[in-house]
Amino acid sequence: MRLEIGPYTASSAAGIGLVEMRESIVTKRTGLRRNDLEGCDLDTWIGRVEGLEKVALPEGLEHLQSRNNQLAWLGLQQDGFLESIIDLKSRIGADRIGVIIGTSTSSIGRTEEAYERLLPTEEMPEEYRQPHVHTLHSPGLFVATVTGLTGPAMTISTACSSSAKVFASASRWIHNGFVDAVLVGGVDSLCNSILYGFNSLELISANQCRPFDRRRDGINIGEACGYAIVTREGFLPDARLHLAGYGESSAAYHMAHPHPKGRGAVIAIDLALERAGLTADSIDYVNLHGTATPANDRIEGRVLAKRFSERTMASSSKGWTGHALGAAGILESVITLEAMSTGVIPGTLNCEEMDLEIEFQVITANIDAEIRYAISNSFGFGGNNATLIFGRIDG
Amino acid sequence: MARVDLAGVGIWSKSFSGWEQFCAVVNGASVDADPKLKPELIPARERRRAPQFVKMAVEVMDQACNMADVDRSSVATVFASGMGDMEITDYMCRTLATMPRTISPTKFHNSVHNAATGYWSIATESNAPATAVSGYANSSAIALLEGATQAIEENIPVLVAVQEGAAPNPFKSVYDSDQPLAVSLLLMPTGECSSPICEFRIGVSGGDLPEEKPVSLAGVDLNGNFIVELLDLLLVVAEGDNRRLDLPISPSGTLSINVTRPGNKGHG
Repeated sequence: MRLEIGPYTASSAAGIGLVEMRESIVTKRTGLRRNDLEGCDLDTWIGRVEGLEKVALPEGLEHLQSRNNQLAWLGLQQDGFLESIIDLKSRIGADRIGVIIGTSTSSIGRTEEAYERLLPTEEMPEEYRQPHVHTLHSPGLFVATVTGLTGPAMTISTACSSSAKVFASASRWIHNGFVDAVLVGGVDSLCNSILYGFNSLELISANQCRPFDRRRDGINIGEACGYAIVTREGFLPDARLHLAGYGESSAAYHMAHPHPKGRGAVIAIDLALERAGLTADSIDYVNLHGTATPANDRIEGRVLAKRFSERTMASSSKGWTGHALGAAGILESVITLEAMSTGVIPGTLNCEEMDLEIEFQVITANIDAEIRYAISNSFGFGGNNATLIFGRIDG
Repeated sequence: MARVDLAGVGIWSKSFSGWEQFCAVVNGASVDADPKLKPELIPARERRRAPQFVKMAVEVMDQACNMADVDRSSVATVFASGMGDMEITDYMCRTLATMPRTISPTKFHNSVHNAATGYWSIATESNAPATAVSGYANSSAIALLEGATQAIEENIPVLVAVQEGAAPNPFKSVYDSDQPLAVSLLLMPTGECSSPICEFRIGVSGGDLPEEKPVSLAGVDLNGNFIVELLDLLLVVAEGDNRRLDLPISPSGTLSINVTRPGNKGHG
């Protein structure tokens, strides 16, 4: 059974909706800015979504207020995505459509705010007593509530692979017949837990992140959300893209450091190729995890060199968006799907002096080319890895 | 509809630890006042750094594998919790509100929702897939759906661990339980387990929510814990009944589980 991909959308520092994102990619304009997040004094750059604080949740859903849900709602309104959901609901029924959303920190930003204002009794102030917000499932609940989808709803939280894994779970639910379609996505917003947390690990850069550059010195945290509709074959007459394969693995090495030889990453890539029935040579493009930490890019280069030849192009798009963590999987899947649809393959923004010690050379400039099969890689804390392969539907 | 075999069960609360002790309590034995929580699977050095929440998960995951003849490194893992590790969230938020630059890097990387499956994969040297999910109050049903579909689609054993911790003070207004509970279920594709405890046939349907019916075990107070409904399922398994059970999976849907005991192939 083929899993088809219908309408999709993404919002990040590189643009709210696909039109702005395309413009940023073509003009090589970064969405990164010097950290100006309220309440955070770290010397770094961030990928903040402009004006997010002013987004109002729909009437009646004020009790779900959080920065993460504001981002979820802003993203749903782009590119006619909500209208697509309404159309799909009318055709196959709200109860036959599941919701699977990835996030790393959910609405913890709101919990942080509540803790800054704790009453002397240690209770949260009245307006912060939001049971559906202070839970990992906050984004899944919000998306299910606001779209009226009544199939099973789940939030996946496996650090930076979260919203790549949504495609694998959706594929299994659909193939088993529990649902006919799934709204997959990811939402992760800027919060102090992540900024100060990565600061404690000495992984954030005081500069714009420079993936695969020899001067790279860490990540920039970004916020993003993205969504796609995936269905069993035949539900989307206009579908031109499909999920050809996926692979999930554990590195079994360390909670916060990648395996030196990229063991988990190689397994995830091999599983995805096997499921797709493809050889590495049939992959035209790889959107890399490419975080711009010295270790990640070196190891990912080694993994690529092990499997791919020079005919496969590879790049990291994090110079545009920062590292969107739990939303990186969906954001970079959408960037990959866009490259397949538009024929514009993004280069590696901010990679000016390529690190020649990395075993696989990435593309730095944007390239116009036709892609038949493309990979999106996502690797996370706890050694959690996911690789997705997308393909074009001919005809 | 998904069919999987139940090959092992793990359970830990402040009143009992392990399947045998749970069954004994069901049959009227008095509860264990304070069962130990010291999962031997995690090396001592790592165990000192592992959060209590991770220890709960690894303990019940290990218990479930002990009941079945299974290679731990071949097992995929599905961890689920509605509220996650509230103790570590409490630490993070308190520290951020006062001295944000003093966040402990170890506590930060332990704060990921997939911490337990990370520790498990490292301890068992497993490269098998691992996921961590949440369905708020419906996390039990979501975890069973995710675990069963994975066992069938990938044709591998899947170790499902569902748990909720005790709420720190600030969380009590949104989640009112001070009783931790962890449950693990080892699901296997049909035919892969030589002596399954029982078979689960799992389906999703719309309709009314099942009636609220808190489990009552003498001397055990778990009310308020989101996943107490799993004890209903374990009671059916323990009593050897063939029965259907419904768990809420969405505001208007239920996960139905038909529990079927194998004819004369019962465990043990």
